[in-house]
Amino acid sequence: MSAHNRGTELDLSWISKIQVNHPAVLRRAEQIQARRTVKKEWQAAWLLKAVTFIDLTTLSGDDTSSNIQRLCYKAKYPIREDLLKALNMYDKGITTAAVCVYPARVCDAVKALKAAGCNIPVASVATGFPAGQTHLKTRLEEIRLAVEDGATEIDVVINRSLVLTGQWEALYDEIRQFRKACGEAHLKTILATGELGSLTNVYKASMIAMMAGSDFIKTSTGKETVNATFPVAIVMLRAIRDFFWKTGNKIGFKPAGGIRSAKDSLAWLSLVKEELGNEWLKPELFRIGASTLLSDIERQIYHHVTGRYAAYHDLPMS
Amino acid sequence: MRTGVIGLILPPTFSFLEMMWRICPALAVGCTVVALVPPASPTPLLLAQLSGELGPFPGILNVISGPASLVPVLASQPGIQKVAFCGALEEGRALRRTLAGECAELGLALGTESLLLLTDTADVDSAVEGVVDAAWSDRGPGGLRLLIQESVWDEAMRRLQERMGRLRSGRGLDGAVDMGARGAAACDLVQRFVREAQSQGAQVFQAGNVPSEHPFYPPTLVSNLPPASPCAQAEVPWPVVVASPFRTAKEALALANGTPRGGSASVWSERLGQALELGYGLQVGTVWINAHGLRDPSVPTGGCKESGCSWHGGPDGLYEYLRPSGTPARLSCLSKNLNYDTFGLAVPSTLPAGPEIGPSPAPPYGLFVGGRFQAPGARSSRPIQDSSGNLHGYVAEGGAKDIRGAVEAAHQAFPGWAGQFPGARAALLWALAAALERRKSTLASRLERQGVELKAAEAEVELSARRLRAWGARAQAQGHTLQVAGLRGPVLRLREPLGVLAVVCPDEWPLLAFVSLLAPALAYGNTVVMVPSAACPLLALEVCQGSQFVEWASAGNLKPVWANRGCLRAWDQETEGAGPELGLRSARTKALWLPMGD
Repeated sequence: MSAHNRGTELDLSWISKIQVNHPAVLRRAEQIQARRTVKKEWQAAWLLKAVTFIDLTTLSGDDTSSNIQRLCYKAKYPIREDLLKALNMYDKGITTAAVCVYPARVCDAVKALKAAGCNIPVASVATGFPAGQTHLKTRLEEIRLAVEDGATEIDVVINRSLVLTGQWEALYDEIRQFRKACGEAHLKTILATGELGSLTNVYKASMIAMMAGSDFIKTSTGKETVNATFPVAIVMLRAIRDFFWKTGNKIGFKPAGGIRSAKDSLAWLSLVKEELGNEWLKPELFRIGASTLLSDIERQIYHHVTGRYAAYHDLPMS
Repeated sequence: MRTGVIGLILPPTFSFLEMMWRICPALAVGCTVVALVPPASPTPLLLAQLSGELGPFPGILNVISGPASLVPVLASQPGIQKVAFCGALEEGRALRRTLAGECAELGLALGTESLLLLTDTADVDSAVEGVVDAAWSDRGPGGLRLLIQESVWDEAMRRLQERMGRLRSGRGLDGAVDMGARGAAACDLVQRFVREAQSQGAQVFQAGNVPSEHPFYPPTLVSNLPPASPCAQAEVPWPVVVASPFRTAKEALALANGTPRGGSASVWSERLGQALELGYGLQVGTVWINAHGLRDPSVPTGGCKESGCSWHGGPDGLYEYLRPSGTPARLSCLSKNLNYDTFGLAVPSTLPAGPEIGPSPAPPYGLFVGGRFQAPGARSSRPIQDSSGNLHGYVAEGGAKDIRGAVEAAHQAFPGWAGQFPGARAALLWALAAALERRKSTLASRLERQGVELKAAEAEVELSARRLRAWGARAQAQGHTLQVAGLRGPVLRLREPLGVLAVVCPDEWPLLAFVSLLAPALAYGNTVVMVPSAACPLLALEVCQGSQFVEWASAGNLKPVWANRGCLRAWDQETEGAGPELGLRSARTKALWLPMGD
């Protein structure tokens, strides 16, 4: 994993004059989806690349060690062996980027991955996921416990009430404390953009999160009514680019929630390529939080290899 | 009522959409179309074939594929009632000159440049996307003048250059390109422009993923071009963006309005008040707030100044192909030996017949300029005869210098007058009507001396007063909202005053025509310079030639012209004397787009 983002001192002038025009961003979002489509063998290659960006996720109330074990195995072997052999990619180490679970299931995940002989990281959600409305003390303790159990990446949620009331210093301080509690683990900050109210708030929250030392900024928990959409992503990617121009630090981006089809995932890859460039198209700087996306990608690859569409029972369950 | 046969002339690089926007309204109101297209673009021929297969009406759309030299031939065909020309400025001028006096009306849509105004309260990234839409995509027709507020200059330039690097150019059918090529002629034009700009000291930045074959040209950003250089005055070709800084919003307006072109512009600002002030102040046909290049068939699109004054879309687009019912078709009054250089320069030498009897009946009238009567520069007056040949009075003979003075006075009065709210304008017109009524007996007796019966004279005076009041009541605030499909937010269709109108009155109905032309002009906020009828029958011929001369001379700065070619107009009838046509001609339309959302 790349080095941590040390963060910078809080500088409110970076966000004080910012304006985001919603209709214009919407128009740009439509344009990107329409104008950069990929077909044939290049599409298959892009889909395999998309697989390596997935944080395979299960965040349900009824998770137990059995489905965690199935998930971890799928993370190690995301695409069926014969399909990979047909594409000559069997020995290239195609796995998903990480596995994402609740804090109580981190031990199970670590054990299952070790049994499968795989060293992909385990990411844990923390700080009162998904609403974040718990006391700061317990939120910090959650992070520490997850890191102790073996999680090497932590996805925290920010306190939306601070954004909606404009308390930027308080937000900065909280995320700084999360950063410290993570220690050596990677910090992904979930902005919950569906609850922030306006695109201007999304930009400001992104900047504060990056200044406070996040390694990744993530669009949403996946549990809101509106999760990852293109307009929100464009604003966050512009914030990442501006932070890079000001400090030279590259921060990663993760959309999560609502990405279910292979076609969507290709649009997301195009978006990152257009706005930030090829350097951001690696697992250290780009992740997709998804669970059913993997099966749709597998079906598309099956179609590319065999020319037919598979039924769901033809492909192994995750 | 529809106009008749329309001749349509399209430029060498035109988009299919532009062509449809001109052909479809014409066909919809019942005109038939003959289109001349350059041979390199065969698409209209396919369209014509499809329309020919429509069964009972072959011949409603005819397409001729030919070189530019056929343009004057098509335009002067006797059967064509209107020529719609779309293309470059110089060709438009030449066409205006050749068509002066001909039967066909001319509608010009010239130039392809647009303007983008970036203030410091804008969303700069989105404005950069607006620049891409305007100049570096297949939707934009031409180049872009970019005005950036100084405080955001560095930020904007950096983002622009970064964005240019991501543009992809290639053949149009490759689905992943942003822009294509526009042909060899356009490529040569832009190469020349960029070379000249560099030689005048500008900085040129080019980027983007562009094939290196000939007709493809990379997106280009030109900055530091000195404002007085010839390149800065010329139209910006595709795909160039010429960027210049400004300090305040007022300076931005002055810079933006300081060109002869007036096509379309966009204003990028998140402050509502500032955005609307700039939008209303720009002298262009279409203004987008925080967007660029949005189009819709129900919104009128056109220009002003040298961008020509023909419209497409919206009600104005349909009016292009209609004329008021009951009016006769236009006649050709072409006089082939009209010498444009000496027209109007000879001094008429009509002297009153018979010896003068005693002193003149009344003091000579001067010229009414700037609120008071003045003596003319040339210090000469002309005698006016009444219907029985006796001397009626003397009237000052104005000359070129007097006209210049009058126009200057009108220009000075214009900002104040246009800025008056409509109630004030209505009040003035009503006061004028009241003054007319007070002097009814004097006016009626003067008309009687010109040979009009007393009853008819009184009726004429009354009708004039009524007309003034009617137009006063119609001096409403401009603008109504259009509904546009697919856009959240209003689009306003504003009616703005044209500026200074020059009106030469006809001979028939001397009082009524004068008043009927004056009232709508003033009601819409224009200032006027009027030349009343000279009450001499010999002038009928000169008026005819005058129409042709006026049309020819307007090619200089392409001002909109409305001439009656010597045919009489029934001023006392509602449709001709006080109808909507007068209102249409007295003001200029502007479309203001206001997309909404947060």
